[in-house]
This record gives sequence, C-alpha cells and structure tokens, in this order.
Amino acid sequence: MKLIKGEIISNKKIGEGLYKMTIFSPYIIKHSLPGQFVNIKCSSESTIDPLLRRPFSIHDIEPDFKVFSILYVLKGTGTKYLSKLSSGDIADFIGPLGNGITLQENENNNFLLIGGGIGVAPLFFLAKTLSAAGKNVFFAAGFKDNNFLLFEKMLQGLKISYEIYSENGTHGKKGMITDLVIERADDFKKYDIYCCGPINMYKVLQNIFSLKSIKAKALFEEIMACGIGVCKGCVMKFKNGKDGYIYKTICKDGPLFDLMEAIFE
Amino acid sequence: MNSNTGKGLSVKLGTIELKNPVIMCSGTFSSGIEYNDLYDVSMLGAVTTKSFSLVPREGNKPPRLCETPAGLLNSIGLENEGIDFFINEHLPVVKRSGFTIILSILGADAAEFTNLATKIRKIEDDLLAVELNLSCPNVEKGGITLGSIPDEVENVTAAVRKILNIPVIVKLSPNNNNLAELASRAKNGGAEAISLINTIIGMAIDINTFKPKLGNIIGGLSGPAIKPVAVAKIYNLYKEKILPIIGMGGISDWKDAIEFMLAGASAIGLGTVNFVDYNAGKNILEGIASYMGSKNILNITDIIGKVKVR
Repeated sequence: MKLIKGEIISNKKIGEGLYKMTIFSPYIIKHSLPGQFVNIKCSSESTIDPLLRRPFSIHDIEPDFKVFSILYVLKGTGTKYLSKLSSGDIADFIGPLGNGITLQENENNNFLLIGGGIGVAPLFFLAKTLSAAGKNVFFAAGFKDNNFLLFEKMLQGLKISYEIYSENGTHGKKGMITDLVIERADDFKKYDIYCCGPINMYKVLQNIFSLKSIKAKALFEEIMACGIGVCKGCVMKFKNGKDGYIYKTICKDGPLFDLMEAIFE
Repeated sequence: MNSNTGKGLSVKLGTIELKNPVIMCSGTFSSGIEYNDLYDVSMLGAVTTKSFSLVPREGNKPPRLCETPAGLLNSIGLENEGIDFFINEHLPVVKRSGFTIILSILGADAAEFTNLATKIRKIEDDLLAVELNLSCPNVEKGGITLGSIPDEVENVTAAVRKILNIPVIVKLSPNNNNLAELASRAKNGGAEAISLINTIIGMAIDINTFKPKLGNIIGGLSGPAIKPVAVAKIYNLYKEKILPIIGMGGISDWKDAIEFMLAGASAIGLGTVNFVDYNAGKNILEGIASYMGSKNILNITDIIGKVKVR
C-alpha cells in the first residue's frame, strides 16, 4: 500500500447519481488485484467534513494508460464532494488495500460472477482479469432499474457472457438476479463463484448455495475508519469452529471472504 | 525535515524522556507496524499500543463506527489479541524497527492489572512506559468504570508500580468531573504522567429505523469535534500542577499540537487523525519544528502551559 496523490483523468456521470472516476496511478495498476480497494479523502485540504476517508473498490484498470477507475453512487457528503471533482484535480488516496482475488489458486476454467447494484463495480475488474487469462466468465448482474445501462456497454467490451436482471424489468429480464441463480443452480456447481452486492442478496445466495452444497466467495463492505486493520472498527461476524463465531475486519482480513462463513444478523 | 529538526524538541514527563513530544494514541495506531510502511515510525516520540488485556477480547457487537460532524463515534470495545500476542508477535517487530513503545494495558480490576504487570516484567526493558487504560467508555468492566473511582485509580496504579520498574502513565476520561482528584490518586499510586483525554461518551440514532447507530448503543466520541473539550480539561488539570500531561483529543495538525502544549500538555497524542492523514505523525512533528523556527523557540518545553490568560 502507498499513500498517493493521483491526477483525475475523468469523472463522468454514467447514470442517475452514478459516477465513474478514472485516476492516473502507475502504482495501483502494478500492484492491485480484483477485489482490492482504495481509501479516498473526500474533503478538500482545508476542511474536515467529512472527516473519514471513504473506501471504493477498484472497478477497472487500464495498464496502457496507467489509470484505474472507481464506480460510485451519490450517497452523502463524501460522494457529493467526489462528484464535483473534474479532470486535472487531484485525488488523495491510499491503496491498494485488503485481500484481492488471485488466479493461481484456481484450476477451474469456469467462473460465475454475481453482482447486485453497485456491487458489480469490483466484479468488472475480476471479469476483465479472468477473461484476459482465457477463462470462461458468466456475469450475472442484478439492478433495481435501468440506471446501469452504460455498465452493460462496458460488459460488452469484454469477451464474456452475461445476463442482466432488473427488479422493474426496464433492463434485461424482470426479476431478481437470485432468480437466475435458483433456476440454474445445478449448472453453476462446476463454476468458481464470486459475488458482490447487498446483504439481502447474500442471505438469499447463502440459502441457495447451502441447499446445493455450492461454494462461493463474496466481497463485503462496512463503515471503515482506518482501512488498514488498526482500528478494528469495520468488523463482521463469521463462523468459527462448530458453533462459534469470530469478528473479522472487512478492511484487512477481507473484503474477500467465504460467503458460507458469514453470519448475518 | 530540515536540518534543525530534532533540536529543542525533547521533553521530559517525570522520568519519561522523549526525543520529541509526538505520541500516537492507544487504539488508533495498533503497534505502529502498519504505519511503518508509510513513514519511519521510529522518528516519533513514542507509540502507545492498542490496549492489551490478559486474555484476548472479542470486542463489541457491530456496527462499531459512526461518523458525526467533525467526529468519530466508536464502540470497538477494546478488541485485542491479548498480551501474549503483543509479546510474541508485535514486540520483536517493533524492537527491530526501533519504535519507542508505551504499552497500553487494560484490566477489570487491580488483580488483573497485577497479573498483566507480572507478564510485562520480563519485557519491560523493551518498553518506555506502560499506560493504564482507566478510561475506555466501551467496556463493562475496567476502563472508565474503574477509572472514575479514586481509590481504584490509586490501587491499580500502585499494584502495577509495585511490579514494574518502568514509568506508569494513567489515561483518564473527560467524562469525570473530578480529574484533579483522580490525577492526585494516580500520583499517590506512583504514576509519572497523565494521558488526557480519552473519548467523550456519545450516542447517535438513525431517525429512519429508530435504532442506535452503534451496536453497543453508546460509544466514545473522538476527532476534531472534541478538541476544545480536551484543551479545557488539560488547561484545568495543568493548573493543579499534579503530574505532567500527555494531551490528546481531536488534534488534526501541528497548530492543534501547539495549542495543546500552550494549554499545559508536555507531550501530545495523535488519535483519529491517523485515519485521515496517514502521515500525521511525521507531518505534525515537522510542523512543530517549523513553528519553533519561525517563532525563535529554542526548546519546545518553553511553551508548555504558557497560555496568556491575563
């Protein structure tokens, strides 16, 4: 990890309250893995509001241009500040942070990526990496509406297959992305599975996968302070032994965990 | 840093000698190992470790964090891997890296502090001092519940002092109104310095769900929001001339550090700022040195408690 001040190359609105920011950083390009994140200062030098940095997963890297991107949704003062920045401005961030996804461990050739909402952001970087390594990737993405139409354009640029569901039927098939997973669960047994999305999606996936004895990994998020494992603030409960549990930090122990180990309360 | 940095920066708190007054606060810097990837942590006056207990503590139920205006509300609950983990895993690394270490410890009562001190005895040569956490608001036993009772403050301090030869620092809570009495009792017990302030008890509620924003309902507030409270507490305690003070609570830059020293702090602690400015220790140390240059201050000790109130 390194503390970096990188030039913003572009900061585009790609949907309602949805933005893509591209930042110049040879260091991040060289050192990051899919699933890792950066912790960005979301206030100007002279102010302390908001106080804490905000974590954003790495959405894409473009080695030819030495740039990486984040996708973000306007939520509060931090993301509002980010949305006002433009090309030429400087982003103050630390990264790459957390445990990313390495390919060496996987002998499998088939990968299923399940993304819900803004959770598709880090899975894009993973899809691109897997595709470049010659793997078969199936990207299942679920949204509320058609706000992620431009995201589909990005997927079309990758040599992968994909399916999109939206809750109101305005983008892809109508329904929840978990509907697709239920329908095709038996096919997905031979896939390595990575998910990123809201807790409600994880709860449903956990149920489906436990019934079918399917393994899956997931990327988690929590409110963070330090981002580097020192404050122990961003913890979640995970299984430990037969009936026990343990708190693990999302920032340092994660954000990648075995989905079946997570305990949702 | 310029060539003058380092000159005139040393401070003394009782028998505790620091090469400069910049100390990292407990719980915001772990043992300093992570931050050493970003700058040379050995340049700091001292690193106060996360509070370690006799046995590992799992900490409180999440969510443990909530940002408030210019502040951070937390209810971590002193999650830690236990004192043996510090001794076996962190100590060899921090020794090799040349950090100056103040070991923060937490116990439920004097007996537990005694057991901790006994374990620490074999490594005390590697420590500058121990800090007794008698002020955490997020634990059921120990912390503030112990640190607000004058007799307990004296007993615990004396119990640790009896076993260890290194200096003892007592960290007190701003949630007490009898700080002078507590500091006096810490002194009676053999403490050489007071760390002030720990977090201020606080709460936040989600108006949509009606639920508290912290899993533990109530937490401790840190960050710039609490700075004026810290300055006043330090100013008031300094006037009593009981023990030297390590001043902390919302310092975000070198100007704040100077302000704390003017109020009466002999050294300053950096906490929440470490999450915002990862190089805060280095930046604030450099800032203090430049300020001294610009004001022709030869020794930083010359400004301690020098606020002009009339």
